[in-house]
Amino acid sequence: MSDKGLKGAVSELRPWLHVLGRRRSRLLLGALLMLGTVASGIGLLGLSGWFITATAITGALLASGAVVGLDVFVPGGGIRFFALSRTATRYFERLYNHDSVLRLLADLRGRLFSILAGLDAHSLRQRRASEWLNRLTADIDTLDSLYLRLLAPPGVALLAIMAVSVLLGWLMPGGWSVGLVLLALWGWSVAGQAYLGYPASQRRVATLDRLRSRTIEHVQGVGELRAFGTLGWHRRDLSNDAQSLYCDQRRLAYRSAFGNALVGLGVGLALLAALWLGIQAYRGGVLSGPLMVLVALVVLALGEALVGLPSAFTHLGATQAAVQRLNALRRSRSRLVEPERPRALPGGALSLRFDEVTLRYPGSPISALDSISLQAEAGERVALLGASGAGKTSIALLAARLLDPQEGAVLLGDIDLRELSLDAVRSHVGYLTQATELFDDSLANNLRLAAPEASEAALWNVLEIVELDAWVAALPRQLETPMGENGRQVSGGQVRRLGLARVLLRDAPLVILDEPFSGLDAPLAARIAQRLDRWLEGRTVLFLAHERSETRTWLPRVKRTYALREGRLVDEASSD
Amino acid sequence: MAKREDTRDTTPRRWLNELAKGVRGWLWLASLLGIAAGLLTIVQMGLLAWIVSQVIVEGAGQSQVGWAFLGLVVVLVVRALAQWGQEIAGFEAGVRVRDRVRNGLLDHLARLGPVTLRAYHSGGVAGRLMEQVEALEGYFSRFLIQLRLSVALPVLILGVVAWLDWVAALFLLVSAPLIPLFMALIGMGAERLQQEQFAAVTRLAGHFLDRVRGLTTLQLFNHAKRSIDEVYLAADEYRQRNMRTLRLAFLSSAVLEFFASVAIAAVAIYIGFGLLGYFDFGPSAQLTLFSGLFVLLLAPDFFQPLRTLAQHYHDRAAALGAAEGLMELLAIPPPDASHFQEGRGELCRLREVSVDYPERGRVLGPLSLTLKAGECVVLTGPSGSGKTTLLNVVAGFVAPSEGETQVDRTQSFAWMDQQPFLIQGSLADNLRLAVPEASESSMRHALALAGMADVVESLPQGLYTPLSEGGGGLSGGQAQRLALARVFLSPARLVLLDEPTARLDAVSEAGIIEGLQRLIEEGRAVMIATHHPEVMSLASCVLSLEKGRQVGERVP
Repeated sequence: MSDKGLKGAVSELRPWLHVLGRRRSRLLLGALLMLGTVASGIGLLGLSGWFITATAITGALLASGAVVGLDVFVPGGGIRFFALSRTATRYFERLYNHDSVLRLLADLRGRLFSILAGLDAHSLRQRRASEWLNRLTADIDTLDSLYLRLLAPPGVALLAIMAVSVLLGWLMPGGWSVGLVLLALWGWSVAGQAYLGYPASQRRVATLDRLRSRTIEHVQGVGELRAFGTLGWHRRDLSNDAQSLYCDQRRLAYRSAFGNALVGLGVGLALLAALWLGIQAYRGGVLSGPLMVLVALVVLALGEALVGLPSAFTHLGATQAAVQRLNALRRSRSRLVEPERPRALPGGALSLRFDEVTLRYPGSPISALDSISLQAEAGERVALLGASGAGKTSIALLAARLLDPQEGAVLLGDIDLRELSLDAVRSHVGYLTQATELFDDSLANNLRLAAPEASEAALWNVLEIVELDAWVAALPRQLETPMGENGRQVSGGQVRRLGLARVLLRDAPLVILDEPFSGLDAPLAARIAQRLDRWLEGRTVLFLAHERSETRTWLPRVKRTYALREGRLVDEASSD
Repeated sequence: MAKREDTRDTTPRRWLNELAKGVRGWLWLASLLGIAAGLLTIVQMGLLAWIVSQVIVEGAGQSQVGWAFLGLVVVLVVRALAQWGQEIAGFEAGVRVRDRVRNGLLDHLARLGPVTLRAYHSGGVAGRLMEQVEALEGYFSRFLIQLRLSVALPVLILGVVAWLDWVAALFLLVSAPLIPLFMALIGMGAERLQQEQFAAVTRLAGHFLDRVRGLTTLQLFNHAKRSIDEVYLAADEYRQRNMRTLRLAFLSSAVLEFFASVAIAAVAIYIGFGLLGYFDFGPSAQLTLFSGLFVLLLAPDFFQPLRTLAQHYHDRAAALGAAEGLMELLAIPPPDASHFQEGRGELCRLREVSVDYPERGRVLGPLSLTLKAGECVVLTGPSGSGKTTLLNVVAGFVAPSEGETQVDRTQSFAWMDQQPFLIQGSLADNLRLAVPEASESSMRHALALAGMADVVESLPQGLYTPLSEGGGGLSGGQAQRLALARVFLSPARLVLLDEPTARLDAVSEAGIIEGLQRLIEEGRAVMIATHHPEVMSLASCVLSLEKGRQVGERVP
């Protein structure tokens, strides 16, 4: 399984390698700096060993009265140069590479969010918000290791090994065989460790995800869980998730420790091999004493280039799991496609028509909507009644083109929505959704989502229609009051009315109102309905409501009523 | 529940030390193995220098130094084992600490309850439980161990070098104390930045969660494109913050690298000149190829523990930042329990209870109320009139600012929020949230009472149909009925419901009312906040609220 998985891993990585390729020169420069660090380390230790041995030999000859000379200044200068260049390249390499990668990540986050923003309503609902969040944060963060740990260091290590092998082969007979040992070690650190760690590291991403979702659940549901006395029960599930996370982490820690120990051992053995061959060459007169020491120390210093590899590749599966999930999103087929040559909508009120529309959610055996035909003439108010789950929301989603139907067409002003740009559709449709989503921002900014340029007076005006003006005026920070997550600092009915105010601010020719009065008491609903009636003048309106008498009477001046039952229109009655 | 950790008068450092005490054994094991590996490295370098010196100075052949090669192989193998053991022991220490902290936090969150937590972004809180708890890992599994090694190993190596040549040891000694000094200076700045960065990560996650949750709204308002830019900007701001931290963090290790490199170079040059006989003072006259090479080989290893420590320094900063965030969470006081008393006789009695919020002023009361078994109190009033707050007071999620509540807290109660809370899992899992050991037939019965029987029957996987977050796949009404089925399944004597029929059609509502009527007849005490006149038919008492005050009481 791992074997196939690893092969798949490479092809899954391809699109992301392509993204890296776009910053090729930046990344290449980073890798060069990395190579500079490794080369400086090797140079420092190798040259120092050479120098000490040379001076010892010369010193001994001098002591025995021989007339010999040794240039101490060139090697001394070389040693100082490597000392400084190692520090400098290391510092700039790290800084430069981290900056490159963070730029890349910011880019990827924006790109990924734009993919999310183009998904249709159904695919968005298939995943929990926390899972989407993970794609944007954790998964993309994991991609930083693609370059910083999985591409540049092994590449640099490989180059260094090849250079050292060539040097050893050139200096002494059989020297290249040490290179083979190092190459085998490199191969194991990369492929072997990836193989060892693959299943657990890939699973760990999912385990972490599950634990996170469960934790969010535990925090959000603490009221219910405490009330029913089942906190402990949910905690057990959470603990199980935590334990399986620890279990995977343990497996990875053990294997990565194994790889690290093996690299330490392997570099040591390669050093011994180099020294053994060096002694042979020295005694054969092929190699001088100082070079014999240099040969051994170069191998010792090369160890530094291999140090990070085992642990990075043990965790390869994590990067790959993240990449897989991001790929799935990129390939998602449920994106709303923009027309190449969008048509333009006429001004003024627009008609809305559903023409034999059938909607099936992928994987569901039953159609959510079954050849629905309905229409609202320009400026007409139409009500769509039905029980919960009858398909009212699906109709609204289709009308705002948050979904596309499998069959039939939705026409706005007699133009198929798919022939209009998404921007045009959305700016002509004001849709009050069943649940109002507020953002962690000020009250004013939450309203201005609908109309970024809206003046304060405009905001107060719509607040007045929903009777929140007095409440907002009494707040210490008025329009600047922060709303908190989902407006949780505000009561449910107030959130609803803010949602309505926001749609009103939109000033769209087609208005869809899903249960505009739910959660409001009767007198307030009646008052708001009255003001709404005036505001709706000249617009095409689609009301969605349950089959409730009192809700129906509040809907002002409905021209036509459709009843929806289990995805089918049942009867059509006109009323006034 | 675990012992509550008092975090109010302690620093993050002290808190981390306290945690370290719990895994002392593992930390010591890891440190000792690390010291063993260090000693073996000294032996390795000694043997290497000896071999070279034998070959070059004494003219020895491979056969004469063969035993040393064999010895080196043994040393390398044992050292590898010690290194492996050190990493493992470190991991075990880290995982135990994380588990303990995670459990302590969950206990605390449970005590805080939903209303206190509501003020905090649930993504942020969960983020702390995940990222910040995980961020403690490196401190215990690596940093603390390396801290001990970075004291012990250089001292050992310095001893060996001093024995070989005290002037060379002086070079190392002079550069060594400068390193911690610089690192401390830089570390202090890095710590603050790291904390800022943690705040930035939390903010980034909150920003994303907010945008992702409200994506439909953003799409509807044509705001998605603008949000893409916002996301990019947030991510880029995160990059800039990150780079500020990294610049300092890397600078600290660069200082270390610099001293290490310069010291190695100085030692090499000193030994070289010594061997050439340039110095006629101190011990340099006694330098041999063996001692010179041995010192040179030990010099990098003198600095290696400190370099590794610098690499793990961000583990410390991360842990301190995380500790601060976690302590902040642990320091949030749970609702004051002093106003709560055990109920006697009645299931619930409130006496002159009022609730004030700092931002919003008085939201409830003063108000008195009694609820007995077999009774149903219906709360009505305009939105924002305090109905939900009153339910929360009875539930014990909000502490009254004044007055006294008597509720039997030993027993569970049935609770339904305005937003039906659904967990990831099947329909059955969602029902078992109320009664974990519920039988299939009792679940079906509860679903029938909530008018969900037909829906469940029509699903191919029936009770075991999986749901995603927020009840994805269910309509609003179905989600509400599922939450109500939970209430019907629960045997709790006290039932608290907030707008239980807000999303239901007339037929479903009539069914629910019938079910609730049955609960009341069974002798449960029910309290409902609602706008719907139909629900009021259940009431033995209707309480009208306005601006937190009781404006009417009607007994039908």
